[in-house]
Amino acid sequence: MSTSVKKVLTQPLLLNNPIAVQILGVCSALAVTTSLNVTLVMCMALISVTACSNFAISLIRNHIPGNIRIIVQMTIIASLVIVVDQVLKAYAYEISKQLSVFVGLIITNCIVMGRAEAFAMKNPPGLSFLDGIGNGLGYSVVLIFVAVFRELLGSGSLFGFEILPLVTNGGWYYSNGLLLLPPSAFFIIGLFIWASRTLIPSQVEAADFKIQPNTETSGAH
Amino acid sequence: MSAKNDSIQKTIMVAVLLCLVCSIIVAGAAVSLKPIQVKNKLEDKKKNILAAAGLLVADKSIAEQFKQVTTRIVNLETGQYADEAELEKLAQAGYPVATFDQKKLAKDPKFSEKLSGSEDPASIKRQADYAAVYLVEKEGEVDRIILPVHGYGLWSTLYGFVALQGNAETIAGLGFYSHAETPGLGGEIDNPSWKAMWEGKEVYDDAGKVAIDVIKGKVDPASPKADNQIDGLSGATLTSKGVSNLVQFWLGEQGFAAYLAGFKGQGV
Amino acid sequence: MGLKSYIESLEPHFTKGGKFEKMYPLYEAIDTGLYSPPSVTNNTAHVRDGIDLKRIMITVWLCCFPAMFFGMWNLGFQANNALDTMGLAGIEGWRGAIISTVAGYDASSIWDNLIFGATYFLPIYAVTFIVGGFWEVLFATIRGHEVNEGFFVTSILFALICPPDIPLWQVALGISFGVVIGKEIFGGTGKNFLNPALTGRAFLFFAYPAQISGDAVWTAVDGFSGATPLGLAALGGVGEIIGSGLTWFDAFSGTIQGSIGETSTIAILLGGSVLLVMGIASWRIVAGVMIGMVSLSTLLNFIGSDTNAMFAMPWYWHLVVGGFAFGMIFMATDPVSSSMTNKGKFFFGALIGVMVVLIRVINPAFPEGMMLAILFSNLFAPLIDHFVVQANIKRRVARNVG
Repeated sequence: MSTSVKKVLTQPLLLNNPIAVQILGVCSALAVTTSLNVTLVMCMALISVTACSNFAISLIRNHIPGNIRIIVQMTIIASLVIVVDQVLKAYAYEISKQLSVFVGLIITNCIVMGRAEAFAMKNPPGLSFLDGIGNGLGYSVVLIFVAVFRELLGSGSLFGFEILPLVTNGGWYYSNGLLLLPPSAFFIIGLFIWASRTLIPSQVEAADFKIQPNTETSGAH
Repeated sequence: MSAKNDSIQKTIMVAVLLCLVCSIIVAGAAVSLKPIQVKNKLEDKKKNILAAAGLLVADKSIAEQFKQVTTRIVNLETGQYADEAELEKLAQAGYPVATFDQKKLAKDPKFSEKLSGSEDPASIKRQADYAAVYLVEKEGEVDRIILPVHGYGLWSTLYGFVALQGNAETIAGLGFYSHAETPGLGGEIDNPSWKAMWEGKEVYDDAGKVAIDVIKGKVDPASPKADNQIDGLSGATLTSKGVSNLVQFWLGEQGFAAYLAGFKGQGV
Repeated sequence: MGLKSYIESLEPHFTKGGKFEKMYPLYEAIDTGLYSPPSVTNNTAHVRDGIDLKRIMITVWLCCFPAMFFGMWNLGFQANNALDTMGLAGIEGWRGAIISTVAGYDASSIWDNLIFGATYFLPIYAVTFIVGGFWEVLFATIRGHEVNEGFFVTSILFALICPPDIPLWQVALGISFGVVIGKEIFGGTGKNFLNPALTGRAFLFFAYPAQISGDAVWTAVDGFSGATPLGLAALGGVGEIIGSGLTWFDAFSGTIQGSIGETSTIAILLGGSVLLVMGIASWRIVAGVMIGMVSLSTLLNFIGSDTNAMFAMPWYWHLVVGGFAFGMIFMATDPVSSSMTNKGKFFFGALIGVMVVLIRVINPAFPEGMMLAILFSNLFAPLIDHFVVQANIKRRVARNVG
């Protein structure tokens, strides 16, 4: 039991990361990673939704009729997301303004649905809850990685505190505008996947085919 | 999952129960948190108003700071404050002074007018008949006049406030609270050092015409128009132009000119 | 012992099991750079032709020379004129020191202009070559493939599309992004779907927009602000360009502000005609770009617009301003990132021509669209090829059945 708890919590961090390996839930990573504050709130929102939805779905998994199970999962996830959104609007207004629709879009985040369908439907509530936390953390690892680069190099700050003084404010650092635009998150996620596949070669699929060389070095000149 | 789960009765029962539980949770959260959210929203608006006027200080609560501000509704056409009858009419239509929402009002055909292309340099399409202005008084005299402005930049409509000094001619501050311009280029309208350039600029030229202008490049301090000009944002010609247009529009004939003329008449 | 046999005597150190096994790509690059490669074709498809990849790349490189030398002269010419109007006698720093020892600041002297331009262009080119080359060799060493001659072309193209006043650290960042993200992560030359030089330039364009666009970077004199003809046109159409004292012939011959190598249409066409005659640059792509650009700009001329003066810009102005000619000849015809099929090349070219006019005329944010148009079309090149191939297959099936 304890090994499976550990596995459920740690595997999604790197080995089977939902973003870097399964390429799920990338969309929100583009939008909410310009500043670390916003990213952290988004990560916490996602962790709580994934964990609670996994828990709730696992709790009633033996009573969910197979033909409406996706709708049941959707309803539970959507309700949780609305609650999270309401709480943020009440207690973290500034950040919820920046997150705007992206909290609502957690509903469509493939990680939440994916874990509900793939894990919570087959496992007991406690383990499902931890699986939700684990996958939420895996998502957070990538998002925070992206956000650190984007905020530091794009705005010269971390958590809103100035680290690299900007030229526009009289410092020396030229901020990199590309990193403030959403596509830059693609590049950084790409680099993250590259690094992760280099460190963990088991993530690399076998090549579909190999290109034959059409010349050959005979050795003799 | 046994087969009995898939019977029609069970399916309907699960669906109904689930919907019930979820709706109770969602409704509960929405209702119980509503007061805090409304308060947040109002406070946010007040904060933007104070920030535009340069009055925002960090260590006092927003509500406390806002006490020095009076909100008045202005009839844009006549330039007068809305009288009791008008206020009553607005309140009945759902626009009381406390939560006056100009954005919504501009969409209401009863209280707004459509602008044609030539009279609409700020590309706002419809203009409300009334606007909320915010006054800060010091020792019985008007010290700051804070006016809501909006207009189109490059990608988005910019919403903000312009603060004028008590003489209704000199700009005391400018701030935008909602826009979606390119970060690093047009987004530099949020840069404090750029906003600081607006302070002390004159809205009108010697002939009394609106002359405030964001120009391309740097302002030449020797130019006779230097008092009316603000440096353009480099690499953001169209956003600069948009800001220029919207400020000119709102301070001009179609905007608050009639209202502001009242202040000059008083000789404050 | 001749150089060739000396190099060959070193080979065992670099092959498998040798002392410098890891450095093989470096050895290979020098060996095949100087002498013909040792590899021979061993399968059935066999073309005997004097031209190989290396010769192609060297030819393209040489064909950039007219644009490059003209660009250096023009850089100096613009800067010396600017100094003159600003009433300055010269520039400071090491560049100033070099210029004052070997030349002067006379805008009418070809030599002075050329030297001035060289002090700006050569550092840009050197940084491009060293930084880009470093990545190239690094990847070749780790991945065990050869250093490709294509980098010669990438480096000079990248240097030529930089604005004169660009800081050198931005050059280094740009070429790094172009080589690593634009090419190496996809497996190196031949497997990249984007043009690496343009990828690097696009990175700079979006990363440092305030410094790399606008009016201050086009002349290599601090504090001098001058808009490119396209920047002027974005404000008030062709009338604005002519109003600033430039004629169509100025833009055609290239005595205008702009990125180093892209101002002179005539110099580009000079190098380009050699490429077209030798069959290195595909005439189909060039024709496609021209057809696309001419037809859409003419269409827009007919439609007209009251608020947007760019609608009225005729095609012969589109041809000579901005990076159109340079992009068409050197970038669009990149054999790796363009379409491969003959019919596809027309469509690929036309897509570039249409996109460039669309961006220049209709998009309010970007005055220039050549770079974005080519990158956009690069993405579509495989799709275009796919449809051409499918159409061929269908036609052949129909012929056989019928």
